[in-house]
Amino acid sequence: MHPINSNKKNTFSWLWLMVLTVISTFIGLAIDNKALFIFSVLFIVFLKGQQIIDIFMELSQAPQFWRRLLLGYVTLLPLIIGFIYIL
Amino acid sequence: MHREAELTLVGKNNGQILEKRLPGDLAMWFFILAELTVFAILFIGFAVAEQLNPEMFIEGKAKLHQISGLINTLTLITSSFFVALALNAMHKGEGQKSAKLLVVAKLVASVYIAVKVWEYMSLFEQNIDIETNTFFTLYFMITFFHLMHVLLGMVILIFIAVKASKNEYNASNISGYESGASYWHMVDMLWIILFPLIYVI
Repeated sequence: MHPINSNKKNTFSWLWLMVLTVISTFIGLAIDNKALFIFSVLFIVFLKGQQIIDIFMELSQAPQFWRRLLLGYVTLLPLIIGFIYIL
Repeated sequence: MHREAELTLVGKNNGQILEKRLPGDLAMWFFILAELTVFAILFIGFAVAEQLNPEMFIEGKAKLHQISGLINTLTLITSSFFVALALNAMHKGEGQKSAKLLVVAKLVASVYIAVKVWEYMSLFEQNIDIETNTFFTLYFMITFFHLMHVLLGMVILIFIAVKASKNEYNASNISGYESGASYWHMVDMLWIILFPLIYVI
């Protein structure tokens, strides 16, 4: 039997993703520093990606190799994009 | 990869052994990795092009409707949420309920398609198309490529919803369902990178 996430956990994750989305859309109104703004938005991308990978995709209950591979994607890609923007 | 490497026992629940395993087919996960790689190249290409043409990209982004991007993000996240609920229902053997939740997921996702089409039409009305400049070439290319993935994901969801409604999945035969759900979550995950890159930063 494969362990499954509870509906409560999925609901919490969904609400958290909605909140993070609204924050990332309007965070520019609160932050003037360009680098801080870019990395704040990209950090939110990582947080959202982690929720989708661990909760919706259920990879927190999968072999660590696959979880780390996808978490690596939502960590490295925003970092690369961030450095391209600030360099 | 050996099947043994994909399975790890993680405990017991009401006497049933819980195993750590990759949800869905291994082939689907390789396909997902390939898709993620293609989009990573497009996203990095977009960021590099923006650094080379900063004024053009600022002007281009100002012509986009940020709220429509926000609505699309919220709809895809909500659609993914219903797919996660649908998979849970299927794990419990509730095929009919699972199929209904997938229909809700598809209805929510259809809002994304409607908004995207409206966005394209409003740009066309301003005489903006894929040939306008580098920004809009990349904008149309990346967003249309993503839209194609949404449409393919919806076809997959229809397919698994039909099978779920006929109770063709069970605890030992749910891999196809999980593969379809994982593909849909990948489409959602790509948009949460695409949205800030094109609409926010």
